[in-house]
Amino acid sequence: MNLEYHQAVIIGGGPAGLAAAIRLREKGVEDVVVLEREGQTGGILRQCIHDGFGLTRFGESLSGPEYAQRFVDEAQRLGIPCLTDTTVLRLDADRTVTASGPAGLRHIRGDAVLLTMGCRERTRGALAIPGSRPAGIWTAGVAQEYINLRNRMVGREVVILGSGDIGMIMARRLTLEGAHVKGVYEVQPYPSGLPRNIEQCLNDYSIPLHLSHTVTDIHGRARLEGVTISRVDERFRPIPGTEERVDCDTLILSVGLIPAGDIANGSGLAVDGRTRGAFVDEHYQTSIPGVFAAGNVLHVHDLVDFVSLEAEALADAAAEYLRNGALPPCPLAVRAGDNVGHVLPQHISGTRDFTLSLRVSRPLKKATLTVRQNGREVLRRVLAKALPAEMLQLSVKAERLDTSGDLEVSVS
Amino acid sequence: MQQSYDVVVIGGGVVGSAIARELSRWRLRIAVLEKESDVCTQTSGRNTGMLHAGFLYKTGSLKAICAVEGNQEFDAVAQELDVPFKRTGKLIVGFTDEHRQRLEHFMARGEANGVKGLELIDRKRMDELEPSAGGNFAMWCPASGILDPFAYTIALAENAVRNGVEYFLNCAFLGEERQPDGTHLLRTEKGDFRTRWVVNSAGLHSAEVSARLGIPGYVIKPVKGEYFVLDKLAGQFARIPVYPAPNPDNTFDTHATPTVDGNVLIGPDSQLARDDQDYESTQAAMDGLIESGSRMFQHMEKSYFIRNFAGIRPKRVDPATGTVQDFVLETRDEAPGVVNLVGIESPGLTSALPLARRAVALIRAKEELVPNPGFDPRRKGIRRFIDMSDGEREAAIAANPDYGEIFCRCEQVTKAEILQAIHNPLGVHTVNGVKVRTRATMGRCQGGYCETRITEALQQELGLDCRDIELGPAGSWMFTGSVKGGGEA
Amino acid sequence: MTRTFTCIVCPNGCEITAEYDGARVGAITGATCPKGEDYVRQELTDPRRTIATSVPVDGGGLPLVSVRLNRPIPKKDIFRVMEAVNAVRLQAPVSIGQVVLADVCGLGADVIVTKNVPRA
Repeated sequence: MNLEYHQAVIIGGGPAGLAAAIRLREKGVEDVVVLEREGQTGGILRQCIHDGFGLTRFGESLSGPEYAQRFVDEAQRLGIPCLTDTTVLRLDADRTVTASGPAGLRHIRGDAVLLTMGCRERTRGALAIPGSRPAGIWTAGVAQEYINLRNRMVGREVVILGSGDIGMIMARRLTLEGAHVKGVYEVQPYPSGLPRNIEQCLNDYSIPLHLSHTVTDIHGRARLEGVTISRVDERFRPIPGTEERVDCDTLILSVGLIPAGDIANGSGLAVDGRTRGAFVDEHYQTSIPGVFAAGNVLHVHDLVDFVSLEAEALADAAAEYLRNGALPPCPLAVRAGDNVGHVLPQHISGTRDFTLSLRVSRPLKKATLTVRQNGREVLRRVLAKALPAEMLQLSVKAERLDTSGDLEVSVS
Repeated sequence: MQQSYDVVVIGGGVVGSAIARELSRWRLRIAVLEKESDVCTQTSGRNTGMLHAGFLYKTGSLKAICAVEGNQEFDAVAQELDVPFKRTGKLIVGFTDEHRQRLEHFMARGEANGVKGLELIDRKRMDELEPSAGGNFAMWCPASGILDPFAYTIALAENAVRNGVEYFLNCAFLGEERQPDGTHLLRTEKGDFRTRWVVNSAGLHSAEVSARLGIPGYVIKPVKGEYFVLDKLAGQFARIPVYPAPNPDNTFDTHATPTVDGNVLIGPDSQLARDDQDYESTQAAMDGLIESGSRMFQHMEKSYFIRNFAGIRPKRVDPATGTVQDFVLETRDEAPGVVNLVGIESPGLTSALPLARRAVALIRAKEELVPNPGFDPRRKGIRRFIDMSDGEREAAIAANPDYGEIFCRCEQVTKAEILQAIHNPLGVHTVNGVKVRTRATMGRCQGGYCETRITEALQQELGLDCRDIELGPAGSWMFTGSVKGGGEA
Repeated sequence: MTRTFTCIVCPNGCEITAEYDGARVGAITGATCPKGEDYVRQELTDPRRTIATSVPVDGGGLPLVSVRLNRPIPKKDIFRVMEAVNAVRLQAPVSIGQVVLADVCGLGADVIVTKNVPRA
């Protein structure tokens, strides 16, 4: 077996991977290689043609392809090798990456391996939606790829299940391209996407949003003919007698994203059941020393700007790791307390500043976020509102921390 | 259009395809009429994929004889036809004294049927074999195995085609007219077929086809069963199929079965089907499977759910009593030139070739057949990248760079495999046709990554308009046309 | 009369309330930045949006190239602009920023390319 060595091997050439590669170079790490399964870098942004990207990172509103191109151009200017059409098959615990491409297999070992593969969409099967299995049912991202990249229109009469951002953005896209979007149905009593997308993607086009509703049956043998919609109670159980049939030829699912870290399944990498991404410490280092993760493969973000920023923070830590051969140990656990869905990082040193990321588990108004250690308040932040759709990030200063004792993050 | 054949087989499921393949050993002009867009879209493809041992069925019945025969020969069959198969054995588990009595009964019956290696084992031995299994004791049946029912049906059909059989897809049988010379004129969706022999292997429709061919009176009860498909991550906990003790009426409740590819199937339940296309999943059945499946498999967790499906077993019942009857395989004097198979349900997958040989024997009892000198019993399937060692992968990519291009990331299916599937010998041109031949779209992302690539490849390779691409059955269109620049339907 | 808006300028999506009598905009509350106030003022008097879509491109590696408006247009004119864009067909190469339709429908905004599509 022909084993190649590099200082840093980055899996995935989307907004996280490219941002990390560029930052590593800026930090003096010369030998960086990016592995990308598509024919070009840029990741999922290539199909996200709507605008609104880059407000935080660049201070202007860009479309997805434009945002990606800034990183692609910079990586090119720096001469960072990006191996396209290269699909990683597996990651082993010794940081060896096996990848496949038309030129053959490659076995590449990195002193550091950066996982930046993004996420995938939750499917109908994962939700176990009853009914038949005709053509015309797609996740929002697949419909987006067909419409925006492959020039294929997926249907005429559309129902959207789930109020995730991509679903709402597709509601607008489908409408602009001549389809009739009959409604968006959300099982939760609150929307799962951002408020501004409800406004500009649904309200602008008079597309109704039905909260506390879900699809309870799917009809049609060959092509989708309709769905049954039911109202649900507070435990998300359909309420008998509320069934309503909605005729449609297309059902778009926008029911959640899941970190796509599958290639690491055989490596023993520890995964957090809450985020479904890796456990990481404040350096974005996973349970395998020298393997790092950031972006949507770690936890699903709502804004690409924060994906890039997180990947840059990862690159700072990875550069230090490569320079010193190790990073400070992180023995302190960070736990999700009341009203917190998940929290990152799951481990910290207690000796350095770090960025805390979290999502609340239900919508709250005038909420107080508290970080406690050994019963003592480390940080308190009053929030006008806190929505599960919006990731919260705040920086925690080392001077407020003890060097022993776990942290608990809660919102009330 | 009218075409003349020696034998026309109605129904291209596993039994019809096995019969076509066995007939192709002889110099005959053979056609198979399949009403669906592919073989194995109905009962043959919608089941547990179990190679049964034969302990369940009444001694001396066709079900028992064919299951035992089919089970014992399957290592050789799998090799000859290149079908994924594992002789895993099976645990039939019990919790109560009543269960123990039933297991003892079936052990005695199995031994009488010729099933080898049956033994009753305790929990300690179960833990050695399969710690994830529920139950306090079990019957261990080492002869049982698992196979890919799609691959097996396709292999039989492709081998039949290789040996001269013609398949007609989307070609439903509509009716028969007996000609003055004794031959049959078969009316179909694709014109008329004239033939000397007709074989009824119409599965769910076998009673109806039997009546049309002059043998009325059979009653088929369509019994539906739903399943969950679990992620391969759950597969690490399921090496051996685990079944509950059979019910007093010789049926099994929900079981947990590993697939040859490493997934786990939880199911089936048992309910009366509404009609022959009642493949819908229902909330009530899903809830039931979650509950009963958890008793058989300790890792029945929601995060492992990737897909649901349903199948329908065509059970032949006594019209008076409603009790389930044996397979029918017959010729009748009042319907000359008809080989009639009715009520082929489980263990039909295991019994397909034994039934097929017996069907051919019924024809040979009436006329002398001449061997087909070109007959080749072997067939090679599409070589799967995921099953190759790294060294084999290197060689495969060097010979064909398309083997390096991953189309389906979950199941690691390459472009080379997709292209071979698109150009399959049966001429199936659907997304599901590619799916069942390669496993693309069967993984945890359910086509989220590869479906766009597959439809693009279908369009390019076959020169299709995107409006003509279908998911599976006739009419399952996927696209209304281009988004921009014309081509709108 | 008061009306409540969800600001779409940035992902914060502030909920902003404004007094409005049909002609004059009164007190505006709830915005965490000045852009929010501007947005609401605009929304009350002349609501505007940008849109993104795609146009066919010949001779490149992709069948479509994405485009967007470089500044907002009146909301009521969205489908008129879509019709104008639907009539366009491009030839590769095209690059980011290239103007596809200048001053589309006389609304003062340009339709610009947002993706590089080199000649195949």
